[in-house]
Formats: sequence, C-alpha cells, structure tokens
Amino acid sequence: MKKLLIGDQIVKSFSEGNEKRTILDHVSIEIDQGEFVTIMGPSGSGKSTLLFALSGMDEITGGRVLMNGRDISELREKELSDLRRRKMGIVFQQPTMLHNLNMLDNIILPSVKDNRKNVASITQKAEALMERVGIAGLKDRDISKVSGGQLQRAGICRALMNNPDILFADEPTGALNSTSAQGIMNIFSEINQEGIAILLVTHDVKVAARAERILLMLDGKIVRELKLSKNKEGRGDDGKRIEMITEQLREIGI
Amino acid sequence: MYSRMIRNDMSKSRLITLATTLFIAAAAMLVSLAAVLVIHLSGAIDTLMKRSETPHFMQMHRGDIDLARLEEFAEQHDNVQEFQVLKFLNIDGSQIRFGNHSLVNHVQDNGFSVQSEKFDYLLDLNGNIIQVNDGELYVPISYWKDGITKVGDEAVISGKLFTVAGFLRDSQMNSSLASSKRFLISPNDFEDLQNRGSIEYLIEFRLVDFSQLKEFETAYALADLETNGPTLTYPLFKTINAISDGMMIGVIILVSLLVVAIAFMCIRFTLLTKIEEDYREIGVMKAIGLRVSDIKRMYLGKYAFIAAMGSILGFLLSFLFQGVLLANIRLYMGESENASLGWLFGVLGSLFVFTAILVYVNGVLKRFHKISAAEAIRFGMSQDKTQRTKGFRLRDKKLLTANIYLGIKDVLTRKRLYGTMLAVLVISTFMMIVPQNLYNTISSDDFIKYMGIGKSDLRIDVQQTENIVGKSSEIRNMMQNDNTISKYAMFTTKTFKMRLKDGTEETIKIEIGDHSQFPVEYSEGRAPIAEDEIALSVLNAEELARKVGDTVPVVIHGMEQDLTVSGIYSDITNGGKTAKAVFDDNTAESMWVVFAAKLADPILIESKVSEYASKFSYAKVSNINQYILQTFGSTMNSVGKATYSAIAVALILSVVITLLFMKMLIAKDRYSISVLKAIGFTNSDIQTQYISRSVFILVIGIFVGTILANTLGEMIAGGLISSFGASTFQFTINPITAYLFSPLLLISFVLIATVVGALGAGRLTISGNIKG
Ligand SMILES: Nc1ncnc2c1ncn2[C@@H]1O[C@H](COP(=O)(O)OP(=O)(O)O)[C@@H](O)[C@H]1O
Ligand SMILES: [Mg+2]
Repeated sequence: MKKLLIGDQIVKSFSEGNEKRTILDHVSIEIDQGEFVTIMGPSGSGKSTLLFALSGMDEITGGRVLMNGRDISELREKELSDLRRRKMGIVFQQPTMLHNLNMLDNIILPSVKDNRKNVASITQKAEALMERVGIAGLKDRDISKVSGGQLQRAGICRALMNNPDILFADEPTGALNSTSAQGIMNIFSEINQEGIAILLVTHDVKVAARAERILLMLDGKIVRELKLSKNKEGRGDDGKRIEMITEQLREIGI
Repeated sequence: MYSRMIRNDMSKSRLITLATTLFIAAAAMLVSLAAVLVIHLSGAIDTLMKRSETPHFMQMHRGDIDLARLEEFAEQHDNVQEFQVLKFLNIDGSQIRFGNHSLVNHVQDNGFSVQSEKFDYLLDLNGNIIQVNDGELYVPISYWKDGITKVGDEAVISGKLFTVAGFLRDSQMNSSLASSKRFLISPNDFEDLQNRGSIEYLIEFRLVDFSQLKEFETAYALADLETNGPTLTYPLFKTINAISDGMMIGVIILVSLLVVAIAFMCIRFTLLTKIEEDYREIGVMKAIGLRVSDIKRMYLGKYAFIAAMGSILGFLLSFLFQGVLLANIRLYMGESENASLGWLFGVLGSLFVFTAILVYVNGVLKRFHKISAAEAIRFGMSQDKTQRTKGFRLRDKKLLTANIYLGIKDVLTRKRLYGTMLAVLVISTFMMIVPQNLYNTISSDDFIKYMGIGKSDLRIDVQQTENIVGKSSEIRNMMQNDNTISKYAMFTTKTFKMRLKDGTEETIKIEIGDHSQFPVEYSEGRAPIAEDEIALSVLNAEELARKVGDTVPVVIHGMEQDLTVSGIYSDITNGGKTAKAVFDDNTAESMWVVFAAKLADPILIESKVSEYASKFSYAKVSNINQYILQTFGSTMNSVGKATYSAIAVALILSVVITLLFMKMLIAKDRYSISVLKAIGFTNSDIQTQYISRSVFILVIGIFVGTILANTLGEMIAGGLISSFGASTFQFTINPITAYLFSPLLLISFVLIATVVGALGAGRLTISGNIKG
C-alpha cells in the first residue's frame, strides 16, 4: 500500500508565559490510501491538535508532515490551501458553516471557488450528495434553521465535494444523539468503501469499531495501536470488536 | 479594581486608545475654537460698533444737497436721536501715493474725511477716537494688512505731503467687501484738498428706537430727500463686518461637527470590537450575577477617562490656534469687551464634547442588556442578526467570483454594521466635494453674475451729476469707434416715481439698457425684453412684495404704466435695491451710468483701462478681474485653503476609520475566517473578500456622497454664499477633480487601509477559533 499521509516525530508546544507546554510529544503516524483509522484518548490528550497538525491547519513546532510524499511545511500558504481544498476533507465536532449562506451555498462554496463556470454541474453533484446523506429537502434552508445532525451531514457533503484523498473528522458524532450518530457513521463507512481514507477522532467505542486501525493517545503520545480486520459490513454493532477495544482502553486506564 | 482593569486594557490596545484620544482632542479643539471665535467675533463687532457709534441709517449722495431741508426732516422726526452729514472726498487712486506705490490698481473708492463730531467715529487700534493734527494721515487698516504702507511713511495725496500717523478702524468700511475706504485727515488739510476730488455726502442718522428702522427708511424715502446713491443700514454694516471671519467660523463649525461625528464612529467601532472580544467574559460576568450596570461602569470608566484626557488636550490645543485665528478679528475689529469670557466658552465647548461622548458610549453599551449569558458562553461571540437576502444565491451569481460574492453577500446581510462605515464614506465624499465645488464656484468668472454684476472685461462708472448724459455719450462714441472692443453696453440708472396700492408714492431706481448684454444671473424669470417689463433685485422684490408676473406701477413720461416683473436677480451693488428695464424716458433724471465692454483680445485689458482712465478722468474705469480679485480674493484664498485641508482631513479620517472598522470586522469574523481557511481559502482570498466589501460600500458611499454634495451641500454652500448677497446659485463644478480625482483618491486610500487592516485576518489561527 502506498503511504498517503505521514506524520513524522511531530512536536507541538505552546508557551504559556515563561513555561513551555508540549501538547504533542514526538508523535509519528502513517495512513495508507483508503485506510480507516480512528484515534481515541481522554480529553486534552492532544487528539484535535494532532488533527490540526496533520491537515496543515496549524503550524508544528517540530517534525514533518508528508502528504503524498511532499512535506507540507515546505508549501506556500496558497499551495497548502489548495491542497486542503482539493485533497482533504474536514469535518469538525461543531458544524462550521458560514452564517450568511444557505445550506447548498455552504456546501458548494469550496468547489465554486475553483470552478466558477461549472456551477450547474457542481450544484448537481451537491444535490446528489445531499440526497445521499438524507438532507435533500434543505437546499435553500438557512443554516440557523436546521438541526445539528443535519448540519453535520451538510458538513460531510462539503468535505466530499472535491473528491478528497482523505477525510479528517474530529468527534463528528460527539454532539449528536445515537440515532443521528449511527446515520452519520454509516455514511463514513460508505465513503471509505469508495476508497477515501478516513482519520477520525472519537470517544465512542461503537464508532471506533468501524475502523481497521485504532490509535490510543495519552498525554500527547500515541501509546498503543490496535489493528483490526477490515470491517466489511461497515457496521458498528459488532460485539466482539467492541469488547476488544473496551479491553484495551481499560488496560491503559481510560 | 476598576482602575487596574482600565489601565490593563489601555496598555493592551495602545494604538487604538491613542487614536480615539486624538479624535476626541480634535473634536474638542474645534468645538472650543468655534465657541471662542463666535464669542470674540460677535463681541468685537459689537464693541467696535458701539465705540464708533455706527449710524443706523445712511444715505450716500452725490450732487447738490439741501442741508436745511434735511435738518428740518431730522428735527421733525421723533425717532431721530442724532443727525449729521459727513463729507467724503473721493480722490482717484492714482493720486494717492505711498512712496513709489500708488493705489491706481485698487478697485476700492478711496476717500478722505475729517473726524466726525457726533457719531460714526474713526477709531485707532486701541479703540479710541482719533484726534488728527495737520499733516497727519490715518490709513484704513486693510492697507496695513496688505503691506502697502506703515507708520512714519510719507504719503503724497494729489501733490500734498502727509505723514502716515497711524491706522484706523472704520465700523462701516473695514471689510474688503465694502466698496469704499475712508482715510482720516485734519480739517485744515481737508480744506486744501477739497477741490482735487469729488465730494460725496454721507447723510447719517442714529435713531432713538432702533427697532423702528424700517419705518424710518420708508419715511426718508417718502420725504423726497437726497437719494442719489446707495442706502445702507446698521444690520448691513454688521453683516459686512462679520462675513469674512464668519465664513471661516462657519467652515470650522461644519468641520467640527463632522469630526465629532467621526469621533463617535471611531468610539463605536473600538467599543464594538472590545465588546466582541470580551463577549464570553461579559456573558460569564452576567452568569455569575454581576449586574449590567456594574459591567457598564467598567467600560464607561475607561471612556470617561479617555474622553476627559481628549477634551482637556483639545482645550489646551485650542489655545495654540486661537492666536492665529483671532489675529484677523483683533486687527480689524479690536478686542471684544467680553474677551475675558472667551476661555469660559472654550471650556464649555470641550465640556460639551466630553458629555456628548459619555452619553453616546452609554447608549452603545445598552446592548449589554441583549447579551444572553448562555449564548455568549456557548458561542463566544455575538450572533449577528442577519437579514435574509433571498435571491442572492451563490449558484445564481455566475458573474461574481466566489470571493467577490462572499464580500457583497456579507455587506447585504449585515446592513446595519456596514451602514456606519457607509456613513463615514458619505461624509468623507461630502467633505471632499463640497468645499472644492464652493471654491470653484466663487473663483469662477461667472460668480459675479450672482452679485448683480455682468461678466465683462472692462467696466466704467460715471457718477457725476453735471452733464452726465453728455459725458456718457462721449464715452459711448469712443467705444463705438474702438475696434479693439468687440462688444459693449451702456446702462443708465434713473429715478422714477412709483405709486403703491395705498396711494403713497415711492421712488425707484431703474437701470435702463439692453440687459440681454452682459447679463446677471436671475434667480427666477429672465431679463426684461419688452418695453413693459421690469426685473427687480431680490431686496426690492421682497420690499415691494412682488413675484415674477406681478406688476409695478411706474410713472413714465408723466404717465402711470404697469410694468410686469420679468425676473428677479440678486444684487449687492448700490445697496442691493435695484431694478432693470429696457424702456427709455428722456425726461427722467439720470443718476449714474455704467458701461460694460468685452475686448477682442483680453490681453489688452491693462492698456485699455489706463487708456480710458486717462482720457475720461471723471469716470472710474475698472478691470473686472481685478475687481473680483480684490473684493473676493481673500475669501477665495481661505476657501481654497479650507478645500485642501478638507480633502486631507477626509482622507486621513477615512483611512483611520477604515483601519478601525477592519479591526472590528476581523474580531467579529474570526470564526468565519477560520472556517474559510479550514476549507481551503487562502489569506489572499480572504483579503479579496474584504476588498470587495470595501469597494461595494465605497461605490455606494461615493455615489450617495456625491448626490448629497450636489443637493444638501449646494444648499449649505448657498447659505454661506448668500451672505455675499447672492440668493440662489448653482455650483460651478470641475467634473474631473470633483468626480474623478477625488473619488479615485478616496478609493485608493480606503483600499490601502482595507488591505492593511485585513492583514490581521492572515494572522488568525484556525485552531484558535474552531474548538476541536
Ligand atoms: N492554542 C492553544 N494554546 C495553548 N494550549 C492549547 C491550545 N490549543 C490546545 N491547547 C491545549 O492542548 C491540550 C490538548 O488539546 P486538544 O488537542 O484540544 O485535546 P483533545 O484531545 O481533547 O482534542 C489541552 O490541554 C489544551 O489545553
Ligand atoms: Mg478535541
């Protein structure tokens, strides 16, 4: 398998007054094309920070991040933005939509930026995606007038618009009830089966169980790695997997 | 605790605190200055006119005078307190020499007088009544100001030697806008000079009851007394004294109002930015039970401190400029009696600014009530009430790039927020355009047409009574045969009787001639063309209560005839009460004649003026351009300076406000900016969005500002110009500077400020604003 994304000895530290706090302490991570990886760990262990670092949204203090073999710290701001827009999709825990655009306009925004002329086909694609995640009727809805779950689905649509190589998701189901969460996760499993790599942070064992690899983080370090078989059905209620993961978590005291 | 918070806060945002303080200081300074200047000017004029005992009513008169009859009138009229007739000895400018310099090129009528005995005194620079010795000459203060002579110089008047003993203030004729200037000499010297010029009489009255001035004017007019010359009254003297400095004060007041408005906006932006940044803290304070009034007090305390510093600084600064601005008033009018109160009004001005700011800040802080603790803590920023703009959808606007679309969309959904910025741009545009249009208007060749003077190259006044008809036909013949003169016209002013509805008779001076030549501006209607038409000056039309289309009964050839009013024009010449018509009546008495001429080649003006002046020594020959320059020159100059300052101020204000606005916007938008960056928009994309917003409001602002400048601005400028006597006028506009260069300047300055201001967006980190 070709390596899609490599994090090599990543260090991220903040200075607070005279003190320096290290949030990521020499973290190394590799993700293959089309792989589904989840990260678990207690609050404050540095999961989000790692995601920000890998997606080039935050500068790192030390180490390297290679996307398709290129060191992203060597990219200019413009190239990095292009890379993020074209090759990466990002879904946050809280939906991140622009307040003054409606649902559909929010979704097509990054694609339209590159390709103003093909709005028609872009819109078609967005409508198809919205249909697929079950929010087809909300095209012209104000974003303040839809539920959190619906917004999260719109966020996934936006992330998928440019056919990314990898999708980063930071606790995408954290703010949702279990039915919505399951709906969202089914979508993730589906897109993964279509060949898009996923790096997903979660607290939910059921969510984590859909992945083929689980990384456990503690105090800025990856302390353990769990390799599972490819989850063919893409379902989260496989009792055996869940039990195994819970066991591992207990072992390291989470 | 509060004072420590204030100090912390101010040291964190030093630049903004400094800018706000300076704006407040500028506002306080200007308001203080305006207050001080108004007090000094009005006080100084009052003092001057009180000490001089300026006449309440004055009739100028040339020709024979029946003193006994005038005295009888004065005695019989109860309201007359004092009466006197002064002699004003008109001497040609070429006969007045200071060293090598003569007054030949000065348009003003220069005359010599002795000190009056009863009232209308000429004062020295200490405000005392001058006592003149033989051989001494006192010179109008304006000639000192223009550097024409100084104390101790020798002066030769019609061959007689004088020493300049000092300068005088003349409550009637001080201003450059007054067409005559009085020199003071001793009675003996006056005897000597009497035959070397022409005598004009100043028939002057002071009244017991000043409020009955109007009735007195009518009584004088009806008494059939000497009237061969303009009639002037106390209010007019006061106005003329006030105009030049009054204009300056007017501009200062206008600018200070704008600066106060801008200071408010500056505070609004910084305050809103601060609230935005502190949103979560404010929510928390509310959540833990602090009262809104407690929270408000912390912010109010900070602004009270800034406003106090600014106001005090402004008040002190006003002292710095007072001297310069008061110099002219002091020179012409002397010290005001209540000058000691000046500083008090300065304090009041600054205090006013201070109070206004606190009230305003308090108003802005009202929005604390609206902050919901829950929302603040959850979102950490205010959720702007966005207006829905249906139909302006990204997928429909194919012509706009995504960035430009986002920029415009943002303006459309947050109209209130951008409204403030729009107001700044409208004000700036207004401030840039109105003064330059005003300047263009009064410096245009056509401007004198609003003053009752037709546009020509050359003007000849014949004002002598003896054989005026013969003398003027001499001039006409010469002009007729002069082939360097491409066009000329002769206007003869004659007196006519006019019978009013109540049966009383009044006299009216009518200027007879072809008024389609060298026309003046008509505020309504047009010039008289038919024999039975008459045009009235604004003052005359008001007094006679006539509108265009009404009739005026005038006695022509001994027969009463109804003349139809064809038009109304403004006029400041000859006391402002004039009329124009085309009929002729050889039986009516000619009072004066005016020639206007246009030369084939304007280069010849100088030589033509001297040619006609030497040939017709009894006539006054003037170069119209010189007339304009000397009458309005100083006003033009100061308006010109005001224009450049206004443009500079407008640009500086726009830049500072744009920077503050951008800072506020970015504080507000940090979340959206982070989202955009997260989904792959670059810093330059975001900058493009901010520029689109700026361009969008700039275009609207400049458009609205320009329209306002041409409507409201024209009205305001009209008010200023009407102080010259012109009742209606239209801007003379230089479209290239007003509608091309000025907007371009504004656009480029604001765009640079936008780009610099939007740099802050690049420094925002995504992770700092989107919580994982
Ligand atoms: N901008 C920042 N400045 C200082 N410390 C930060 C910043 N962002 C995150 N941290 C700290 O880094 C640690 C890890 O945060 P994060 O990656 O968000 O944890 P989580 O694993 O819960 O997502 C936390 O202790 C947090 O306080
Ligand atoms: Mg997190």
